[in-house]
Amino acid sequence: MIIQVKNLEKYYRTDEVQTIALNKLSFEVKEGEFVAIMGPSGCGKSTLLNIVGLLDEVDAGSFVFKGQEVAHYSERQRARLRKHNIGFVFQSFNLIDELTVYENVELPLIYTGVKPSQRRLQVEAVLEKMQITHRRNHFPQQLSGGQQQRVAVARAVVHNPKLILADEPTGNLDSSNGNEVMQLLTELNKAGTTIIMVTHSEHDAQYSHRVIRMLDGHKVTENIMA
Amino acid sequence: MIRNYFIIAWRNLSRNKVYSLINILGLAIGMAVTMLIGLWIYDEITYNDYFTKSERIAQVYQTQTFNGKKGTGPAIPRPLEAAMREDYGNNFNHIVMSSWQQTYYLQNGDKNLRRDGHAWQNGAIDMFGFEIIKGDRNGLEDPNSIMLSENTAEELFGDADPIGKVIKVNSEHDMMVTAIFRNIPENNTFDEVEFMVPWQHYADTNEWIANALQHWGNNSFQMFVEIKEGKTMEEVSQLIGPVKYEKAEGEKEYDPVMFLHPMKDWYLRGDFENGENIGGRIENLWLFGTIGLFVLLLACINFMNLSTARSEKRAKEVGIRKTLGSERPQLVRQFLAESLFIVMLSYLLAMIMVQLSIPSFNELSGKTVEIPWGEPVFWICCLSFILITAFLAGSYPALYLSSFNPVTVLKGTFKAGRYASLPRKVLVVTQFSISVALIIGTLVVMKQIDHSKNRPVGYNKEGLIQIPVFSKDFEGKYDLMHEAFLRSGGAVAMSGSMSPVTSVWSNRSGWTWEGKQEGFQEDFAWVEVTHEYPSSMGLIFTDGRDFSREFASDSNAVILNETAVRYMGIKDPVGKLIRDEDTGEEAQEPMKIIGVVKDMVMQSAYKPVKQTLFVFSKEGNINYYNLRLNPEKSVKENLELIEQTFKTHFPALPFQFEFVDENYALKFRAEERIASLAAVFTVLAIFISCLGLFGLASFVAEQRTKEIGIRKVLGASVSNLWLMLSREFLLLVMLSLLIAIPIAYYIMQNWITKFDYRTNISWWIFISAGLGAIFLTIFTISFQAVRAASGNPVKSLRDE
Ligand SMILES: Nc1ncnc2c1ncn2[C@@H]1O[C@H](COP(=O)(O)OP(=O)(O)O)[C@@H](O)[C@H]1O
Ligand SMILES: [Mg+2]
Repeated sequence: MIIQVKNLEKYYRTDEVQTIALNKLSFEVKEGEFVAIMGPSGCGKSTLLNIVGLLDEVDAGSFVFKGQEVAHYSERQRARLRKHNIGFVFQSFNLIDELTVYENVELPLIYTGVKPSQRRLQVEAVLEKMQITHRRNHFPQQLSGGQQQRVAVARAVVHNPKLILADEPTGNLDSSNGNEVMQLLTELNKAGTTIIMVTHSEHDAQYSHRVIRMLDGHKVTENIMA
Repeated sequence: MIRNYFIIAWRNLSRNKVYSLINILGLAIGMAVTMLIGLWIYDEITYNDYFTKSERIAQVYQTQTFNGKKGTGPAIPRPLEAAMREDYGNNFNHIVMSSWQQTYYLQNGDKNLRRDGHAWQNGAIDMFGFEIIKGDRNGLEDPNSIMLSENTAEELFGDADPIGKVIKVNSEHDMMVTAIFRNIPENNTFDEVEFMVPWQHYADTNEWIANALQHWGNNSFQMFVEIKEGKTMEEVSQLIGPVKYEKAEGEKEYDPVMFLHPMKDWYLRGDFENGENIGGRIENLWLFGTIGLFVLLLACINFMNLSTARSEKRAKEVGIRKTLGSERPQLVRQFLAESLFIVMLSYLLAMIMVQLSIPSFNELSGKTVEIPWGEPVFWICCLSFILITAFLAGSYPALYLSSFNPVTVLKGTFKAGRYASLPRKVLVVTQFSISVALIIGTLVVMKQIDHSKNRPVGYNKEGLIQIPVFSKDFEGKYDLMHEAFLRSGGAVAMSGSMSPVTSVWSNRSGWTWEGKQEGFQEDFAWVEVTHEYPSSMGLIFTDGRDFSREFASDSNAVILNETAVRYMGIKDPVGKLIRDEDTGEEAQEPMKIIGVVKDMVMQSAYKPVKQTLFVFSKEGNINYYNLRLNPEKSVKENLELIEQTFKTHFPALPFQFEFVDENYALKFRAEERIASLAAVFTVLAIFISCLGLFGLASFVAEQRTKEIGIRKVLGASVSNLWLMLSREFLLLVMLSLLIAIPIAYYIMQNWITKFDYRTNISWWIFISAGLGAIFLTIFTISFQAVRAASGNPVKSLRDE
């Protein structure tokens, strides 16, 4: 079991109102699984992904990541765990505009302290695999949306994380580019990477093993895909 | 990693050219100003470093009390030498008697030069460590020897070897050149010394000096000492304190205290008040040091403001980096590295600016500083300067930017909070408060200088020249030359005086008069003059009459200034006598007061005029001819006529003269230099602040493009929008005025009390500084505001 979440709670406090973003949410993800999370806008999907991705704090409940209870972890502890184990893919790509394709992909390796020579090999390999080698010296704005998302996926996997979290990865893409990205994710999953993906698209959800449906901060159903 | 940081920094710079330019230019100007000030301060604090034993050298000073007021100065009496050698000699490596700086004529064949130098005892060479490049280190033992500077030797002898040659000094004495010393560098107390002659020669050839040997009351000499290793200045100073008091019976009433004024304080801490050292030039060091720091701070504030203002742009990057596992310290390091990078670029630009501006800087400051490229200390300073600046400018933005929460910023809805711009506002207010305070300060200093310059001087200094006549050749020639110069047509009046028009070389006491109060310890400025002095100067008589050749008795006449009349407390002074307190054999004849003139400003233009006695020069003690040029002719013609006349009578002597009004203007030179430097730095400080304001204004305009577009669509006019965009900045600047004005007023009110003759701090200074700041603000931000307000709203709305 890579992720075990139990009675997870998350609140947002703005000036006067307190929003319950996650309400006693529980679920588990096994290693090697491909899970899709679906639900209406504002139901807490991104919040959940941020917590699972060790970006955000938990207000209450338990979160066991690879056998360790991490709910009480400090930001620094989470950062350490995160950079070695988790890759992110976002709807809006989130590439650094001032860095080239190559440099963007290289970043996680720099933060995990990989040696330059080794970095080179890994980056080249992943660029090759994502078929963007010829764009290595371009800046993000010079690429199409599909290409940018491929760079983002390349960056998410370059350090071989155990878990990839994708928040509506096809949301800003047309269907053919979207399918290409789903293809990439499926391949990664086949190679052993666990994937949790938030999506609005039933079509994309087909690629997953299991769909968790959420409403108002908690889980409503869980279906195993055929 | 560092490479990665620099890459990002560079790409950010090249993508945002306007911001980069503002940042780098502002920082570079700030750093250049700070570096120039640093060089200036370095030059000031290394003054007299030429002397290797500067830690152990001191000048003997004396504090005396006159009428309950303590006065301190370097003048000491001649018998002090024997007393010091006998009773305290074991504390010193050297005790050196010295004259004041002298001006001599040095003649070799047909070359005759007028040069400044010192008469002192041979120990001076070893004590000060003058470098003898040729000849004998002990060359001042023989009374008829002279040492010359490299320069002077070359001027007199060309390539020939001067050692052993005999030159004529003051057309009177034959003296043999025994040594050549290395030219004394510029930033040194003795930088004008071109020759050195033996003290003994000086003492032997002047009767009054020989007479002073037993005279404890004649404070007319200087004494330099080097204390022994292992002794401290304080302890020796304490020790010699009562030496004069104990030996000099007649001087006890003045409570003389001798002390050591250490060489390291000569230049920077030369002022005394009430017997205490109260600093001096060191104040300018603090002043400029503060200005330098402020200017650097202003530039750093620009950097902080622009970096944090643009934080929304950097927020996404921070979010991504954090998501990918970057920890906050790494990000802090990244942003610090970025500011280091920018500071290094600015530093390079600053170095170029400094190098280019050094000639004008030297002219303005009257210095000869240069960048000490070869000094390791310099490079260490530069390196620390870069690091400190980078840290000062970069730490706040680094901490601020690295604090963003990735979850929030990546949601894409990140907007800096409502109070996010508060620190920026505080910083802008700080900037403008400093700038406005600098403007006010500079205006007050300039007004004070102007005020003193326009002070009524009590005589007519225009069209007046003075010719120094120190040489023996001039002795007894006054009447002859008076006639000759007037006859030449180049001058319409002429007089002689013992001291130059713009200073007083002698002070006298020991007089009594009718109505003098018991125990009154008088002290007069003493100016010996010829008959024609008051008329040639244009002094204004308020009582009595001028000197006259008609009355033979005028050889004992004295003219007082108004201050002297008040000081002495005499009613109806004309006709009264001033008598010598001594009634013995050597008593001087009484002087008869024949007239009173309005105060004539001869000494400091900032202080009240001292009580002065203009006495007829019986002994022909004339050192200057003062000539009033003929107003009917051009200055050039007059000078030609005067020179011709001079050369006819003194063909061997160089014709040299000074314009009195120029000499008078020299009194303000130090203050004017300080003021003009301060003015330049102030202008740069304001420029830096405006640069920052410009950057912020363009940022705000950019940030509000959409809002501006909507308002325009809804019917807002350009002027509505201009007001909307400018109002906030104007409010900040007005707030700065409220802060700066009272502070500046307080500081300058304090500063100005050190001048006795002072201007008032008028309201127009504050009004003009305030209006100036507001006008500049409007000018700076309007460019951006109008540009944003007149843009096409359709375009800006489509961008979203
Ligand atoms: N930073 C925040 N501050 C306040 N409320 C937030 C914040 N982020 C999310 N929320 C609220 O929490 C709820 C869940 O948001 P989110 O997880 O983004 O939903 P989803 O991704 O499913 O659309 C929503 O009601 C949203 O308004
Ligand atoms: Mg979402």
